[in-house]
Amino acid sequence: MTQLLKAIDISKSFGTLPVIRNVSLEISPGEVVGIAGQSGAGKSALTMLLTGFLTPDEGKLFFEGQQLRWPFNGRAHGIEVIHQHPDLAEDLDVSSNVFLGNEIGWSLGDDWLKFPNRRRMAKETVRILTQLGANLEDPHEIVANLSSEQRQLIAIARVMVNPSKLIIVDNPTLALSYSYQHKLLSLIESWQQQGIAVLINSDNPDHLLAVTDRIIVLRNGRCDNEFQTDDTNREEVVAAMVGTIDRQQLTPILWALDSYYRAREQAEKLSQRQAMLEKGLASGEMINRQFISQLANQIDALDQVNAALQNAQRRLLTELEQERKGLAREIHDQVIQDMLGVNYRLEEIESYDNLAPAVRSELSSLQDRIRTLVDDLRDICGNLRPPTIDSLGLGPAIGSYARDWTRRSGIPVTLDLDPELGRLPEAIELSIFRIVQEGLNNVHKHSGASESRVELRRTLPRTLMLSVSDNGQGVDGDFDLTMLPESGHYGLLGISERVVLLGGRLKLQNNEDGGLLLQVEIPHPRLEMPT
Amino acid sequence: MQLPAKLNNSLSLSSIVRFWRHLVQRREFAVLLLFLILCTLLSLLTDTFLTFDNLSNLARNFSWIAIIAFGQSMVIIIGGLDMSVGATMALAGLITAYCMDENIGLPVGVAVTSGLFVGVLVGWINGFMIARAKLPSYVVTLGTMSVVRGIAFSLTGGWPVRNLPENFRVIGQHEIQFGSWGIPVPFLLTVMTALVVGLLLDKMVLGRYVHTLNRGERALLLAGVNVNQVTTLVYTLCGLLAAFGGIVMTARLGVAAPTAASGYELDSIAAAVVGGTSLYGGEGSIVGVLLGGAVLQTVRNGLVLLGFPAYGHTVAVGAMILAVILLNYWRRKH
Repeated sequence: MTQLLKAIDISKSFGTLPVIRNVSLEISPGEVVGIAGQSGAGKSALTMLLTGFLTPDEGKLFFEGQQLRWPFNGRAHGIEVIHQHPDLAEDLDVSSNVFLGNEIGWSLGDDWLKFPNRRRMAKETVRILTQLGANLEDPHEIVANLSSEQRQLIAIARVMVNPSKLIIVDNPTLALSYSYQHKLLSLIESWQQQGIAVLINSDNPDHLLAVTDRIIVLRNGRCDNEFQTDDTNREEVVAAMVGTIDRQQLTPILWALDSYYRAREQAEKLSQRQAMLEKGLASGEMINRQFISQLANQIDALDQVNAALQNAQRRLLTELEQERKGLAREIHDQVIQDMLGVNYRLEEIESYDNLAPAVRSELSSLQDRIRTLVDDLRDICGNLRPPTIDSLGLGPAIGSYARDWTRRSGIPVTLDLDPELGRLPEAIELSIFRIVQEGLNNVHKHSGASESRVELRRTLPRTLMLSVSDNGQGVDGDFDLTMLPESGHYGLLGISERVVLLGGRLKLQNNEDGGLLLQVEIPHPRLEMPT
Repeated sequence: MQLPAKLNNSLSLSSIVRFWRHLVQRREFAVLLLFLILCTLLSLLTDTFLTFDNLSNLARNFSWIAIIAFGQSMVIIIGGLDMSVGATMALAGLITAYCMDENIGLPVGVAVTSGLFVGVLVGWINGFMIARAKLPSYVVTLGTMSVVRGIAFSLTGGWPVRNLPENFRVIGQHEIQFGSWGIPVPFLLTVMTALVVGLLLDKMVLGRYVHTLNRGERALLLAGVNVNQVTTLVYTLCGLLAAFGGIVMTARLGVAAPTAASGYELDSIAAAVVGGTSLYGGEGSIVGVLLGGAVLQTVRNGLVLLGFPAYGHTVAVGAMILAVILLNYWRRKH
């Protein structure tokens, strides 16, 4: 006989429930035999019977031509088992569990009088577990701390420490993830190449079809069908498992099986991907953080540049005002005085008696033109440097400018100035004055308004609020303050620049009752302004 | 050069600290502490405790308690109890004495061997029934205790065997001189037994199986370990050690009585449990049991020296067992 294992008419009942009924099977050396069956068909019971743990009610078992009597210790005969639920010694470490019952060491004769060589066992354990691709770094880890998959891997490793003739694999897919299931299948192939027979029982017919030579189908404890793997297909095996050949009943079962395993595989892939994504996210976050810190650095640099620019701008504006002031003074003190001197001289000449009437009238028209010229020059001076601002302050300066503006434009201005305004630093006063000036100019030029209003008051907390409003046509809805340079509104641009330099805010919006509201808020009062 | 030396120094210091911490966390350490406290108390309370004669006497009497406690602790580690050790001691002593009697007159070696064989036989019967029939150990061993004690009584009709040969009494009564110190032979035998059992239990594969058996029986089964054989072997060893203890005791007392060693099963359990063997199984060491036996015998000795009545001893042993069990329960709960 060349049979490695031969079981004859094995029957087993649990109480009154028959689990295995008259099952006979044979396994040749180096053969891979699969047991298929629905859960409850008796697959696990059969493997337990063949490994010697469970004693059948009837039947005989021969291994290598020698009859085995239950209960027997399969390992003593070269039968290794990977159980469905690996039972490990919880208090022992990984390597002790892998070598449990097979300890390496120096012996006093008997197996039990062995001094285990922990170092060698640990080394071997690491080698085997690496071969399995298990991520168990520490062979001295206590088994109680491990996951069920890691335990199953230890149970698989245990099978590999000892040379064996038959390895029985009892539905290990339950505790193993998809990749390890495949690892196990390739292990089974390598075992077969070493001449070891394998008996594998699995819920998944695909696994059986992948590695076995022969598939035995158990149904209700009976072994009804047997297929050569090369000559069969899933439909046939599944049909035998469920005991029907009716395609209408079979198709949904096949479909359900398919989708079950596919779903499980997908779920595992998903969770792996999720883990990878999480890892990716973590690294991405790190890059982001670096990026953000770089950005922050750049923003700091930009801020410095901006501050420098603002300082330059402030200096420019101050210088501009100083120059205007100087120019105004020069015109006022020199040119106007000279012209008034010329006019005075002309008056003197006019008082001469011997003048021809034509000359006299020419003289008086010259005097008129000089007076107009002086008035114009005074206007220019006033624009260059509001004459009252230095002596009387902002309020009167705005008042006099507004009256002047009404005279020129014909649009009445309502002034609402805070009487408690007091004196402000020169730069702020000038800036506010220029903003009013520019604002009113805009009203005159663009709005077509019939009246306007200027309001300047202290608001809480410690701010000055200036608003220039009119009842004109307002601005388009999509007016954008950030686009001022591109749209050519240099007046508004000037206002916004001054507001920024004062550390304030500019708001430009349409009034509820039509017209435009230009509102400026400036921190008040004593900003340290370079003068 | 300065820095590495310093580093090295601190390293060795930390390793000493780690070793110390490891030591302190062990149960044996607590038992040792208890033993030292007891000795200190007794030497303060009495004048007689710290005399060479008393200590030597204590060491002799402690020896057979410790020897049987080794076996008992192995049984407790696999989750059982052996109630028959006291009776086995008596029967083994009696058989040994009986074989050396004028009527039979076997040589000492043969007599001792047959005494030990009785222990092996009793232990094997215990183990066989417990392992194969899966019966509760204390019920089985209570049964064998009764049977063995009965055999001991019927063997001599209830009479003790006296007039033991001198070369047998050497085992229990002599001392071996190490310089000026005379070490009692039973004490030396105890230490040797402790070494052998300790090696078996802590260093060898069998010890692993014994420690794993209670909580990991199925794991051992699946690993192909013959659990029934391990169980049988443990009870057999317990019987053998009980017989050995009984022979040492008989040699010491110079008389083999069928009533001897009654109640010693409880003493052995107490020594094992006080020494840190868990009644829940799986835990226990020979050093602990040795210390436990020493504590037990010191308490007994102290009670005598302090003038308590002889019955007080049983109360003390029972109370110690209960106290340790309660302590263990409390430890588990927290």
